Amino acid sequence: MVISVKNLTKRYGDLVALDHFNLEVGEGEILGLLGPNGSGKTTAINCILSLLKYEKGSIDIYGKPMAPEAYDLKRKIGIIMQNVAVFEELTVYENIDYFCGLYISDKNKRRSLVIEAMDFVGLNDYGKFYPKKLSGGLLRRLNIACGIAHKPDLIILDEPTVAVDPQSRNNILEGIQRLNREGATVIYTSHYMEEVEQICTRIAIMDKGKIIATGNKEELKAMINSGEKITVEIYNPENRILTDVKNLPHIVSAFFHDSFLTVKSERDKNNLMVLIDYLKTRQIAFGKIYSEPPTLNDVFLEITGKELRD
Amino acid sequence: MFWHIYKYRLKCLTRSRQMMFWTLLFPIILGTLFYMAFSNLSSVEAFSHIKIAVVDNEEFQKDTNFREALQSASDPDNGDGSLFDVTYTSKEEGESLLMGGNIEGIIYFNNGIKLILKESGLNQTIIKEFIDHYKQTLSTVSAIINRNPEAMQKGLIESSTSHKDFLKEASAGSSAPDTTVNYFYTLIAMACLYGSFFGLNEVTVNQANLSAQAARANMSPVHKLRVFIYSMTAAATIQLVNIGILLLYLTVILHINFGTQITYILLTCIAGTVTGVTFGAFIGSIVKGGEGIKIGILIAGSMTMSFLSGMMYDKMKYIVNTKVPVLGYLNPANLITDCFYSLYYYDTYTVFFTDILFLILLTAFFSLLTYLQIRRQKYASL
Repeated sequence: MVISVKNLTKRYGDLVALDHFNLEVGEGEILGLLGPNGSGKTTAINCILSLLKYEKGSIDIYGKPMAPEAYDLKRKIGIIMQNVAVFEELTVYENIDYFCGLYISDKNKRRSLVIEAMDFVGLNDYGKFYPKKLSGGLLRRLNIACGIAHKPDLIILDEPTVAVDPQSRNNILEGIQRLNREGATVIYTSHYMEEVEQICTRIAIMDKGKIIATGNKEELKAMINSGEKITVEIYNPENRILTDVKNLPHIVSAFFHDSFLTVKSERDKNNLMVLIDYLKTRQIAFGKIYSEPPTLNDVFLEITGKELRD
Repeated sequence: MFWHIYKYRLKCLTRSRQMMFWTLLFPIILGTLFYMAFSNLSSVEAFSHIKIAVVDNEEFQKDTNFREALQSASDPDNGDGSLFDVTYTSKEEGESLLMGGNIEGIIYFNNGIKLILKESGLNQTIIKEFIDHYKQTLSTVSAIINRNPEAMQKGLIESSTSHKDFLKEASAGSSAPDTTVNYFYTLIAMACLYGSFFGLNEVTVNQANLSAQAARANMSPVHKLRVFIYSMTAAATIQLVNIGILLLYLTVILHINFGTQITYILLTCIAGTVTGVTFGAFIGSIVKGGEGIKIGILIAGSMTMSFLSGMMYDKMKYIVNTKVPVLGYLNPANLITDCFYSLYYYDTYTVFFTDILFLILLTAFFSLLTYLQIRRQKYASL
C-alpha cells in the first residue's frame, strides 16, 4: 500500500473539514479524489503531506508514518499545488532546476532531469521565459514540471487543470497517464468529473470531509438505481405527456425543463425505442433527442441529493 | 545544497525590481537630494567678500595706517579671511557704483574717515564695524602716546592692538565638525533597515502558510530552517552589497567624508545590515495579515526610527538621547548612526563598540523570535 489514511479528523474551529476520513491508495493506481468545492479534498492532501495539523487519525506512506521530518518519504513524493508555486523572478528552466535541486544535488543528473521535465510538459521552447510571459496553460505545465522533475514515485496533483485551456488540459491529462505508465502512483483531486473518469483507475468521491463512495467508474455507476438518461425536445410540452411517460415500463423519473423532457430509466434498462414509439403513436412533435449513460454526477446526486458542481 | 539555494535566492532577490528600488535606488536618490539640499545650504552660508569703494584722494594717501589696515582686510592671500573686495575710485564714480548696487558702501576721507551706505544689512554693519574698530584702536594708540610716550618702548601699543581669544574651538576627534554629515549617517542607517524587505520576503517564501512556493519547498527533503538560513544569508549578502554601493556613491561621487576608519565602517554596515534583514524577518513572522500590511509596517517603522535618529531634524537625536535614552539603545537606526558618529568624532571606541553590542543584541532578539515563530513545520491552516 502506498498511502493508508485512517480516521483522519481535521477541524477549522467549529467546521469539521475531515470527518473520520479513510483512504487507501495502492501502488500504480491513479486515484481520483472527486468532490465539490469545499468537500475537503485539498485539506486531505495537505494533511497527508504533513503540512496541516490534524486532530485525530494516522497517515502512513509506503508503510511509514508521515511526518514533517520524514525526509526519506518526502524524497519519493512530488506535489503539484492548486496554486501555481513558482518564482516570478526565475525563468522556466531555473524554476524547475531550483525545485529539482532540493532533491537532486548532482548537477549533471539534474540538468538532464530538468530538460526531461521540460520536454515532458512541452515547455522546451520556453526555457528562458519568465512565468509572467507564459499563458495560464503553460504556467500550469511549469507548475507540474516543478513537481515531477525529480522523478517521484508518488505524485499528488491538487486540481492542476483549474483555469486551463482545453489543449493544455489534454496535455496535462495525457502527461499524468504517461507518468503512471512509467511507474508513478498518482493521486488526482478535481471537481471535474470528466477528467477523473478519463484518467483515473479508481475514484473516491468526497463530500463534507468524508469518502462517500469508492471504486472504478463502472463500480460507482453500478451503485445507483438510475441508468440511461434520455433528453427529448418536445415542441408542445403538456402535462399529459409527462403522466404517460412516467407510466412507461422501467422509468425512474421524468420531468420537463423548458421544452426538454428528461427521462431516467432503471439501471441496465434501455427505454429509447419505447419512448420514440410512444411519441410517434401519439403524434407528438419532437426535435432533438439524445441518450446518455449515467455519469459520476448522477452517482453523486443520488448519494447526496445534490449536484457535484453545487 | 547551500550554494544551490543561495545562488537561486540571490537571483530572485536581485531580479525583484521593487525590492531593489527600495534597498538600493531609493537611498541613492535620497542621498543625492540631501547632497543637493546641503550644498545649496553651504553656499548660502558661505561668506563672500564685501565689495566696497574707497575714494582715492590725498587724505586717504596720507593715512598710511588705514591703508595698511585696509590692505590687510582685503588681501587676496588671506583666502576666506579676506573681508573686502576694494575698488579705488573717485567719489562720483563710487556713488554711481553704489547706486547701481555694485558695491555695499563707500569709504572716503574728508577731515576723517566717512562712510556712505545705501541701505542697512549685515555687510553694511561689517564695514561700519571695521571703520569703528580702526578709529577706536587709533584713538587708543594716540592716547597712549600723548599720556605716556615711554609706553611705546614697553610694547603697550602692540598689546593694545593685538587680539587674543580665550576660548578655543576644539574637536574631540581628528575630523572637523560637520552637522550635515549626520544626515548621511541616518541615510545609511535607513538603507540598512530597508534590508528588512529582503528579510520579510525570505520569511514569505519559506512559510507554507504564506506562499505556495514555500509549501512546495517544505515538501522537499531539506529541513525548512536550513532553507531559511541559506535564504537569509543570500538576503544579507545582497543588502550588504547595496550598502557598499551606497557608501561608494556617497564617498566617491558625492565626496561625503565618513572618516578614514574603513574597517570599523564596514563592521557597522555588516552589523546594521544583519539587524535590518532580521528585523524584516521578525515583522514577517509575527505580524498577521497580508504582505502589504507588513511592508507598510516596515516602511513606517524604518522611517520612524530614522526620524528619531535625526534624519529629518538634526536635534531629534540629541532630544531622544537626553529625554528617553533607552529609546536610543532600542532603535537600530540610532545605533547605526551613533556608530558612524563616534567613528567620525571620537578617538576612542567605547561608544562604537557599545552600539555594535546593542545591534548584535537586537539581531539576536529578532532572530530568536523569528525562529520561535517559523520553527513549526505543520500549520493550523494554509
